[in-house]
Amino acid sequence: MKIIVAIKQVPERDARIRIDAEAKWIDLRDVEFMMNESDAYALEEALQLKEAHGGEVVVLSAGPERVGKTIREALAKGADRAIHIESDDLAGYDALGVASLLAAAIREDDGEDPDLILTGLQSDDLGLGQTGVILAELLNLPHASLILKIEKTGSGIKVLRELEDGWFQHLELPAPAVLTIQSGNSKLRYATLMGIKRAKTKEVRRVTVADLITVDPGAKPADPVVQLDRVSLPSKQRTTQILSGSPAEAAAALVEKLQFEVRAL
Amino acid sequence: MHLAHAFPTSALCASLFATGLLAEPQHFSLAEKLLLIALIVASAWLFWKRFGVVVDKILHSRKDPGFQLFPIGKRVWDFFWEVLCQAKVIRERPLPGLAHAFVFWSFLAFALVTLNHVAVGLGIGFLNPAGAFGRIYYWFAAAFALACAVSIAGLFIRRFFVRPIWLSREGHAISYESGVIAGLIFALMATYLAAFFVTDSSLAARLLWWAHTLSLVVFLPLVPHTKHLHLILSPVTIFLSRGSFSQIPPLVGDEDFGLVTGKDLTQLVSLQAYSCVECGRCTEHCPAANTGKSLNPKEIILGVRGYLNEFGPTAEELLLGKYNSQEAAFQCTTCGACEFQCPVGIEHVPIIVGLRRGAVNTGAWEDSHGTKLFLAMERNSNALGMSSAERDKFVQKQELPIFDGSQEYCLWLGCMGGYDPKGREIISSFVEVMRYLGTSYGVLRKEKCTGDPARRLGNDLVFQELAESNLEMMTQQKVKKIVSICPHCVRTIQEDWKDFGAPPEIEHHSEFLARHHARLPHQNTGEKIVYHDPCYLGRYRNVYDEPRTVIAAAGTLVEAERNRERSFCCGAGGGLAFLGEEQGQRVSAVRAQELVATGATTIGAACPFCNTMFRDALASSGENSPRLLDIAQIAANQIKAAPSQ
Amino acid sequence: MSSVLVFLENKNREISRISWEAMAAAHTLAEGLGLPVDLALAASPGNPIFEKIHGKAPRTVYAIDDKLLHDYTADGFTEAYRQLIEHVKPAYVVLPHTYQVRDFAPRLATRFKQVLISDVTGIEAPSGTTTPAFIRQLLQGKLNATYRHPGTGVCFLSVQAGAFRADPAHGGATTLEPFHPKLDAGQIRVKPGEPFRASAQTVDLGSAAILVSVGRGIKEEANLPIVQELATALGAELAASRPICDNGWLPMERQVGSSGQTVAPKVYLAIGISGAIQHLVGMKGSQCIVAINKDENAPIFEVADYGIVGDLFEIVPALTAAVRKVKA
Repeated sequence: MKIIVAIKQVPERDARIRIDAEAKWIDLRDVEFMMNESDAYALEEALQLKEAHGGEVVVLSAGPERVGKTIREALAKGADRAIHIESDDLAGYDALGVASLLAAAIREDDGEDPDLILTGLQSDDLGLGQTGVILAELLNLPHASLILKIEKTGSGIKVLRELEDGWFQHLELPAPAVLTIQSGNSKLRYATLMGIKRAKTKEVRRVTVADLITVDPGAKPADPVVQLDRVSLPSKQRTTQILSGSPAEAAAALVEKLQFEVRAL
Repeated sequence: MHLAHAFPTSALCASLFATGLLAEPQHFSLAEKLLLIALIVASAWLFWKRFGVVVDKILHSRKDPGFQLFPIGKRVWDFFWEVLCQAKVIRERPLPGLAHAFVFWSFLAFALVTLNHVAVGLGIGFLNPAGAFGRIYYWFAAAFALACAVSIAGLFIRRFFVRPIWLSREGHAISYESGVIAGLIFALMATYLAAFFVTDSSLAARLLWWAHTLSLVVFLPLVPHTKHLHLILSPVTIFLSRGSFSQIPPLVGDEDFGLVTGKDLTQLVSLQAYSCVECGRCTEHCPAANTGKSLNPKEIILGVRGYLNEFGPTAEELLLGKYNSQEAAFQCTTCGACEFQCPVGIEHVPIIVGLRRGAVNTGAWEDSHGTKLFLAMERNSNALGMSSAERDKFVQKQELPIFDGSQEYCLWLGCMGGYDPKGREIISSFVEVMRYLGTSYGVLRKEKCTGDPARRLGNDLVFQELAESNLEMMTQQKVKKIVSICPHCVRTIQEDWKDFGAPPEIEHHSEFLARHHARLPHQNTGEKIVYHDPCYLGRYRNVYDEPRTVIAAAGTLVEAERNRERSFCCGAGGGLAFLGEEQGQRVSAVRAQELVATGATTIGAACPFCNTMFRDALASSGENSPRLLDIAQIAANQIKAAPSQ
Repeated sequence: MSSVLVFLENKNREISRISWEAMAAAHTLAEGLGLPVDLALAASPGNPIFEKIHGKAPRTVYAIDDKLLHDYTADGFTEAYRQLIEHVKPAYVVLPHTYQVRDFAPRLATRFKQVLISDVTGIEAPSGTTTPAFIRQLLQGKLNATYRHPGTGVCFLSVQAGAFRADPAHGGATTLEPFHPKLDAGQIRVKPGEPFRASAQTVDLGSAAILVSVGRGIKEEANLPIVQELATALGAELAASRPICDNGWLPMERQVGSSGQTVAPKVYLAIGISGAIQHLVGMKGSQCIVAINKDENAPIFEVADYGIVGDLFEIVPALTAAVRKVKA
C-alpha cells in the first residue's frame, strides 16, 4: 500500500499566548513547535497499515524550514520518505490554497498513485478541520472523516467512523480515498533513537511553491476568499468560581452552571 | 620447646609442637611422580578447557567505551579493602561473611603450602617443616586450616540445613556443586591438619598426601565450571570496576542502542557475569524482589551468563529473550542496593539500564505508561506533561527572583518542585530558609526536565535532547552553582549530563542546610522523627549525615530498621513513579509500614519523589499516620517557631 | 434577490437544537444585511418534521427530496446541496457545525471555490462599508480570530453549538417548496453501515462525557454509594484516585492519574480529591473541572472551573437531589 500522510507542524499546545505586532497571529519567539496531535494519530494508522500490508508511507508537509524537525520525527517513527513544500508565508493562503499545493505535490509525486491519503481531523492551531476533505474534492476522490479504524478489504477499505453521542458507524469505500483521522484511537509510538538515526538516511524531497506551479499551472492558489482580519485574546480567562452557601444552595448553583454554562446536562 | 609455654596451651596446640611437625612423605617412586605429573597435567588441561572458553568470551566482547584505568589509586584501595580485607563481605553479612573471609584467607595462607606439597611429590620440596621458618609458617597455616574447616562446615550447614532463600536459584533450591566444593575444601583442610598427627614415613602420611593431592586436582578443573570461578575473576572484577557507582556508559556511534544482542555486551559486563557468586545479597536487598515482582537481580546477571554460555558475545539473539525477560528489566527502581551489596564487584544498574536501552531505543518496549511518559517529555519537556505556564504561575505567586547571572545560586525547581503541590511546598520552605540566611539565589525562567526518568528507562533520544538543551540554556544564562531539592536532579545534572557537556556545580539542599546549620535557629521538640535515606542521595551520593543533622536539631532522630546504605527504596526511581505497578505489593507501602513501625510521629524525607510515594501509601494508614515532612520544611518550621530576632 | 440559506439537520426525526441555533445566527446576519432567510432540509415534503419549523418565518422552506439522500453520504449531500445552491443563489450559506457538516461542507464549499468559515462563535453585523465579520476560536479556545469574506461568490459558514441562542418554539406557517436534485447512484462512492452504540461491558472512562471521581475524602468503602448515586443521576461513569483503587474499593480500571488512565471528559467532578500531581496529570485536560473538598487550600481548586468548599457528605446528596430534579 502506498499511503500519504499530510502532517502539520503547529505551536506547542501550552505555548505562552502573546499577540504579535500585527495582531494577526501569536508572537512566535520562544515558542516550540510540534507535530499536530491528530496528524500523529494519522501517521500511526498509516504505520500500522504498512506493518500489516507492506508498502510505503510518505509524509507530506508544508511550511518554513523548521517543519523539517517534525518531518524527521515522522521519519524516525517509521515513515519511508517525505515531501516538504517549502514556504515561509503559508498564512497568505486560505485553506483551499494550502490544499491546492498539497494536491499538486501528491499528483506530482513519483511512482504509483497513493492507495490512501490520511490527514488528522483538524489542526491544533487553526482548527478548521477541512484540509483533508478539500483535498479529497480537489483530487476527485471519495473521503470519510472522524475515522478511528481502517481495515483493508478486497475491494477497498472499511473504516470505523465516530458519530456524536457515543454512536459509531462502519463505512465501505473504494481505494484510493482520503481519510481524516480522529485522535485517541490508537496507541501512539514514541520516537526512538534507532528511528532518528535511520531517519538521517531517508529521502526528504524539498519543493517550492514555484516548483509546483511550474509543473502544474493549475495548482497556483487563487487569491484567498476568506481572510483573517485580526486576532485577540478572549475576555474571559479561566478562573475558578467558588460556589458558596448551604449545601443545597451550592448544589443548585452548580447544577445551573452545568446546565447553561457548560451545557452538559 | 619453650615456645609451647608461651602460648595458651590446649592439648592440640601442645601436641602439634610436641608430637609433630607436618608429616611429609619423604620418598616418591618414579611411578608416583609420573602419576602426579599426569594428574596435574590432566587437571590443568581440564581447567583450561573451560576457563579458556570463559576468557575467550570475555575478551571477544566489545571494548568498554569511556573506560579509564587511571587514576589507579581507588582501584588499588578497593582491591586491598574489598578483596584482601573482605570488608564488604563481612560488613553486610557478618557471620557468614567472616566465615567466608577465613576460607579466603586460608587460600592465601596456603599458597606456599600447596606449592611445597606438589614440590614434595616431585622430590624437590623446599619448605622444611622442621626448619625455623617452616615451623612458624606451618603453624600459621594450621590455624587458618582450622578456622577454614570450621567455617566451611558452618557455611555448609547454613546452605543445606538453614537454607536461606537468597542462596537458592529459580527452580533449584539446593546447589549440589556447592556441596561438592565445600567437601573438597574441607578435605583439603582435614588432610592437612591430620598430617600433623602422623609421622613422615608412615603409610598414613602417604595416604593423606595423596588424598590432599587428589582433592587439589579435582578442585582445580571444577573451579571454572562453577560459581567458584569467582576465585580467579572477582579480584580482577573488583579492580576493573567502572570507576563510580552506577555509572552508565555512553553510547558510541550510530549503531549503538544499548544492550540489544550479544554483540553489545562489553568486556566488563561479561567479566561481571562470570564473576557472580550467586550469594543473593543483591536480591536480598532488592525492593522489587522483596515485593513479589519478577525482577531478581541475581537472575539478571546469571541470565547474562547463561546467554554468554549458550550464544556467546557475538550472537544476534536478543538479550531480553530466553535468559532475561523484558518485564523483569522494567521493574527496577535503579535504587542501587544490588550493586552496593555485591561483594565481587558486579555493577547491576548499568547492566539493567543497558538492557532497557536496548529495548527502548529500538522501540521494542511497548508499555502504555512508558509511551505516555516519553510523549509527555517530547511535547512538554517535563515528565508530568504539564504546561510550563503552570510553573510560571507558581514562580510568580511565590515571588521567586528570576536568575540573571548575578546571584550566587540557581535554585533548580525540577519537575516536582515546579508542578507537584507537595514539591512546591518543599521549595517554598527552602526559599524561606534561604531568605532567612540572606542567600542570593534566582530561579530560571524556563526549565526542562533533567531527563532522569528517560535516562533510567533507557530512552537516550529524549535524554540527549533534554540534556543538550538544558546545558545550552545554562551556559547562556551563566549558571555556575545550582542547589536542588531533588536527588534525582542532582545526580542527573552532575553525572549523566557529562555525556553532553560540562554541567555547573550542583548540590542537594541537605548539603546546603548542613553547611549553614550553625546559623539557623533550632527548636528541638523532642518528637521522634524517622529519617528515610533516599537512594539517590544515600547510596548514589554518599550523603547520610547532612540530613540527619537537620533532623536531630528538631527532634529525636530514630532510624528505620533498614537505614543508610541499606535504606529500602520508596519505589519511585528508575522512572517507575510514572509506570503502573501491578505485580505484588506496592514498594512504597512496604517501606511506609517500616517507617511507621518505628513509632515516629514524623517521617523526614529529603526527596520529593519519596515524599509523594509515602503520601499515597500513608493514606491507607488512616488518621494516626505520622506527618510527612521534607527536611526543608523541618528547617523552615524551626525558623517560624524561633522567637523573632 | 440574494438571501441567507440555512441547511437544517435531521437528527433522530427531530430538527436538532443546533440547527435552530444556526437559524438564529442566520437571522442575525440577514437582518444586518437586509436579506431574507431561506431554510432547507433533506426530507420528502410530506415528512411531518416540517411542521416543527418555528421561530421567525423564513421566505421559503426547501424540502430536498431524493431517495439517495435517505442515508447520509458526503457525496450525496454535497451534490444535492450544490444543486440547490445553484438554484437559490444565496449570498450566504449557514450550517450547524456538526460532525455531519464537517464531513461534507468543505467539499461543498470547494465546488464553489470557496472556503467554509467553520465553527463560528460570533457574527459582527456589517456597518456602512464594512462586510460582516465572523469570529471563531484558534489554539483550542485560547485566541479569538475575526474573519472576513472579501471575495465574491457564496460565503459558507458553520455555527458552533451553544454560540447562538435558538429562538423559542412557537409554530408558524411556512411555504414548502419541494426540490428534486438530479442524483446518480454512481456518484455515491461510500457505502454507510448502520449506526450502532459501543457495548457497555467494560469500563471505558475515556468515552464518558461526565466523570464522577472519588478520592480519599470519602474515608470508607461503605460511603461509596453516596458518590455512586450522584454518578447514576448524572449518567456519568465512576472514577477514582489511586488510594481508592489501591485499597481495592474500586477496580484499577477506574483509576485516573499518572499510573492509571488519562481522561478528558466534558465534565470532571473531583470529590474528596486533593489534587496531587499524579492525579492532576490524568484529568487536567477535562473541559470543565468541578471540585468538592473540605479543604479550601486543596490544590484541586487551582485547576477547577467550579468549586464547592464544604463537607462532601452534605454536598453530594444535595447535588444528587438537584440533578434528579432537573432531569425529571
